[in-house]
Amino acid sequence: MAALFKKDWFGLLIVVIVSGLAIAVLKPAFLSPFNLYVLMVSISYMLIIALAQMIIIAIGQMNLSVGAIGGLVAISFSGLMEVQQVSVPVAVLIGLIIGMLCGFLNGYITVRSGISAFIITLATLYIFKGINLGITEAEPFYNIPETVKNFGNAKIGNTPIPFLIIIPIIITFLMWIFMNRTETGRHMLAYGNSVQSAELIGISSSKVVITAHVISGFLAAIAGMLVVCRLQLGTPNIGDSWLLPSFAAPVIGGAILAGGKVDVIATSLGVLIVAIISQALVIFKIDPFFVQIFLGVMILLAVFVNRYREYKQEARRKIFSSE
Amino acid sequence: MKLLFSIVTSAAVLVSGSAFADSSDTKVALVPGGPHPYFAAWERAGQDAVKDFGLGKADYKVPAEWDLSQQNELIESLVGKGYNAVLVFPGDAVGTNKILGELDDAGIPTAALAGCVEQPTKAKMCFGTDTGHSAYLGTKQLIDAMGGKGKIAHFTGFLVDPNTTLRIKAVEKAVAEAGGGVEIIQVIADIDAYEPADEKINAFMAAQGGEVDGIVTTAWVPAVVAAQALTNMGDKRIKMVGIDHDEVVLTAIKDGFVHGTMLQNPYGQGYIGSYAMDKIRGGCTFKADAPWKATAQTDQFIDSGTVFVDSSDVDTYVDAMRGISLEILKTFEDDFLDC
Amino acid sequence: MNKKIPNFIYTNQFGLLCLVLIFTLIFSTSTDGFTSRFNIFALSRVIAIDIMIGLAMMVVILTGGLNLALGAIGVCAAMFGGWCMEVLGIPIIPSILLMLGMGSFLGWINGIITVKTGVHSFVVTLATMSIYFGFMTMLTEAEAFRRLPELFTDFGSAKLFNKYVSPLLLVSVATCFALFYLFRFTDIGRKLIAAGANPEAAELSGISVNRMFIYCHMLSGFLGALAAILLTTRIGAAIPSMAGQLGMDWLLPAFLAPVIGGTLLSGGKLSVFGTMLGAVLVTLLTNGLYLLDVGEFWIRFFLGIILLLAVLLDRTREYFTLKSVIVS
Repeated sequence: MAALFKKDWFGLLIVVIVSGLAIAVLKPAFLSPFNLYVLMVSISYMLIIALAQMIIIAIGQMNLSVGAIGGLVAISFSGLMEVQQVSVPVAVLIGLIIGMLCGFLNGYITVRSGISAFIITLATLYIFKGINLGITEAEPFYNIPETVKNFGNAKIGNTPIPFLIIIPIIITFLMWIFMNRTETGRHMLAYGNSVQSAELIGISSSKVVITAHVISGFLAAIAGMLVVCRLQLGTPNIGDSWLLPSFAAPVIGGAILAGGKVDVIATSLGVLIVAIISQALVIFKIDPFFVQIFLGVMILLAVFVNRYREYKQEARRKIFSSE
Repeated sequence: MKLLFSIVTSAAVLVSGSAFADSSDTKVALVPGGPHPYFAAWERAGQDAVKDFGLGKADYKVPAEWDLSQQNELIESLVGKGYNAVLVFPGDAVGTNKILGELDDAGIPTAALAGCVEQPTKAKMCFGTDTGHSAYLGTKQLIDAMGGKGKIAHFTGFLVDPNTTLRIKAVEKAVAEAGGGVEIIQVIADIDAYEPADEKINAFMAAQGGEVDGIVTTAWVPAVVAAQALTNMGDKRIKMVGIDHDEVVLTAIKDGFVHGTMLQNPYGQGYIGSYAMDKIRGGCTFKADAPWKATAQTDQFIDSGTVFVDSSDVDTYVDAMRGISLEILKTFEDDFLDC
Repeated sequence: MNKKIPNFIYTNQFGLLCLVLIFTLIFSTSTDGFTSRFNIFALSRVIAIDIMIGLAMMVVILTGGLNLALGAIGVCAAMFGGWCMEVLGIPIIPSILLMLGMGSFLGWINGIITVKTGVHSFVVTLATMSIYFGFMTMLTEAEAFRRLPELFTDFGSAKLFNKYVSPLLLVSVATCFALFYLFRFTDIGRKLIAAGANPEAAELSGISVNRMFIYCHMLSGFLGALAAILLTTRIGAAIPSMAGQLGMDWLLPAFLAPVIGGTLLSGGKLSVFGTMLGAVLVTLLTNGLYLLDVGEFWIRFFLGIILLLAVLLDRTREYFTLKSVIVS
């Protein structure tokens, strides 16, 4: 129990519980089955989008093209099924491969050129989005197979839990194992902490960076396909609005953009906080424009809180070292 | 089935430029505000106009983003490329006037299509759906379906779209006329993209789905998403009137989840618009005493028609739309042009 | 490296100049309409705005940071100016000053938060982007200001030099010269560069790095507002969507111009005229691609490829010049 208190994400957990309870008391409708269902649906893809960004933040970079990859995979996935009559599993597989290929491209160019991932992914953002628009001419694909549509709508038994959320939960779990229990995961964090010292102890930077980007592309692909299941159509503007939320959750979860400091659980809680409060804004009929401001303020707040905590930790370390 | 880049099929073009040449040198550019499924019918309409009226070209050119600056840049480059008539869905009701004035200076006739620019303007006409009227009629239909009382939610499009404000006001007007029985409990705007629309509409349904009795949607994407939400919920209690002819909406009408939809006439806009531009370039002018309609934005408005369909006539909606176009075309020259 | 004239041909600017000339030649021979008066005038106007946007980003890149909120600041300044002129009836010149002040103020906020928290400006400006834009839409209710003084909007359609050039371009070029003077010949300009190049060393030599960084953010906001003013005169109205959702449509031109122009993303090195040429090149290519009929939907794809090629080429050039320096 004492160990729990020391975890970075413990404070976030408190925030989630308190805000959830407060909203439920003020507006009992918050806990209605349908509302919980809607909440979980929006959490399900936000979770994966956040993880796609988190893994890049872990190595001290950023990926602006998460949304563009998601969009490209979404339209390829639905286009393959509609135009090429490809079966669902094959379409999913191709979708995942496209996502990983996009991620590989990001990672490979970043490593080989030594240019910051920010610029590379800004360029690929336009390239992926350009291909997307070029193929679709901005028109959606409608004929999504029934199985896919049903998957997007189904609930588990009589509970308000959407089927859709199973995949994100499994993925979050796998990501946790990957980041905390595998060598590659730890290498990523070490690399994010300090590129030089990571290379000194023999970590291959190209392997770390490319792996991280491939995973990011893979996750973006899953998110893109989940959105297709949810919307029941493949529209080219899927992914357009992912940029801000993809950074919001990891940053609120305490990741610092210098890298090396990310936590899967904290990021997931970050997603929860954003989702709960966005939902609350609708329930309380607060001006939709406010959602925008709110997200920004949350990020800044998180930045300040993290800064303050670091400051205190540093102060404590100084006291210990002087003893 | 989607066509990858249909290639312009127009024949060789006479570059010479007598203003009274028999129509063959008119190259019309049809420029929407940005990528949006509504405008897709313009492409076919332009091609048909080339075939039927012998224009040089009538090409559908889409700005890659919904952004006034990009639209302006595209139009400028099209003029550079030799297009000599422009039909444009204004990126902004006033902002677009600037470039229309500049085109007019360069001797290029323009008209606002599907949405109007505010006067004073150099646009020769505004040819589109009377969006306010359409929203008004749609709301009337909805109120009838609800039995004249209940609570309504209104979902509509981009706030930057000049039509959005007109639609919000028109829905309010129809509700006010229904007396005290009907009430608008929420207007959700700026959701003409699928992801935000899905999020906001579902959150609304979750929070207030039990209270609301009717939904009117006055933009394409919200109509699709709301129709889908009702279908998914399996809810036939809430009545809904949509807009446009997206497959999702039409299917939901057939299945009884949506009461009906207000069709617009994008094909007719592109087809007759191209024809009119060619006539203008051929030396015709608009009659001063033409049967213009006046709207809040302009008094040189021509209605491209709107029609309500419900489950009884949803299968033949294409005929309904084509019928309107032919009707307008029949009398267009006599009514509006001095040649 | 100090002899300017003979080394000029090794510089990025020279390469850019060549590219600009080559593409001008290609487009004027392979497309009709590229050299038409209408097209050149339109080009000059787009270039003017893109230069300004590029410069606004450049001065923050100097610090090794970036300013995602640039577009949001621009739109806020434009809307504020629209409100001043239309609602309050403030004359044009004071309104312009107020707009510039607004831009600088929002930039100052970015700067102060970045410096105080020590967090990368990416996160800070990501947050302020949505805050600024959110407040703007809330206060204006997304309503445009469309009745601006005619004198103000006429400036955007005025034509100079036998109707080939927009006065907007003169404003941008003048700004380039002013910035060049600032960074090359003034004390504060040199301090700004020193702070960006090596913050620790600059701090040791008595420069307040934090203050310099805040200045850079303010300058960025100022130039962003200036870009917005040009855009407003060109559109003839102050419109919330003039820079796209959250002002993000400015990001591509904002990064393209300085990065192609040889400004280092790690900070400490900038090139004012490189940025100018970068903006010219990008606008030229966009226009050429439109005229070549590659299809409007593919334009973005090509712009992305161009950005990628530009940074890769820049890398190779750097690599070879470094090699030749070592050899000599």
